[in-house]
Amino acid sequence: MDDTRSPGIVLVSHSAAIAEGLAAMAREVAGDGVTIVPAGGGPEGTLGTDGGRVAGALVEADSGAGVVVLADIGSAILSIRAVLADGMADGVDAVLADAPLVEGAIAAAVTAATGGDLDAVRSAAEEAWDVRKL
Amino acid sequence: MSVSSNGHVRTVRLPDGVDLHARPAGKLVRAAAAYDASVTLIAGERRADAKSILQVLALGATGGSDVVLETSGADASEALDVISGLLASLA
Repeated sequence: MDDTRSPGIVLVSHSAAIAEGLAAMAREVAGDGVTIVPAGGGPEGTLGTDGGRVAGALVEADSGAGVVVLADIGSAILSIRAVLADGMADGVDAVLADAPLVEGAIAAAVTAATGGDLDAVRSAAEEAWDVRKL
Repeated sequence: MSVSSNGHVRTVRLPDGVDLHARPAGKLVRAAAAYDASVTLIAGERRADAKSILQVLALGATGGSDVVLETSGADASEALDVISGLLASLA
């Protein structure tokens, strides 16, 4: 692992629009220098998840420091686990964050921008459960 | 103004029209993260760890309002100077 590089972030949603919009939002807050790759929607643009797209995003997001993966609901997690279990992104050190997608992505992106490592970025995403909005 | 041997506090007015949202909030957090000191931002009744983007966003601090910056720890004095300068010059 190269400690001078930031972990990448992959955003998995059943909706391509959600994943892409959230990636843009997270980049706006975190600034340049963080790799955030959206992987939304099923094959042929349907709502759903696409293991091949997720695997491609994992490889694209990895610069050697690993990748934190965030997902929206239910079966997105199953899809990601299947990708990892099947070795479709072999060689990528990927960890799943148990976090609300939007808040987790913002927290993860900013933490990656501050030089956080893979554990720090995942932890920042998971701390999103503890920050009240109101 | 110093409040203890290693704690510092300063009131800073955010520039008019610059709410502490998205990009400005990200800048603040990235700056705060560079220090060992703990950095706290207070806006009205709310307090935020300035190293937590979600807490900073939840402050809802608006342009033209006063926020209070508190730092404590080894490099608290430098953190106070740099971060208060950054807050006052956000665009």
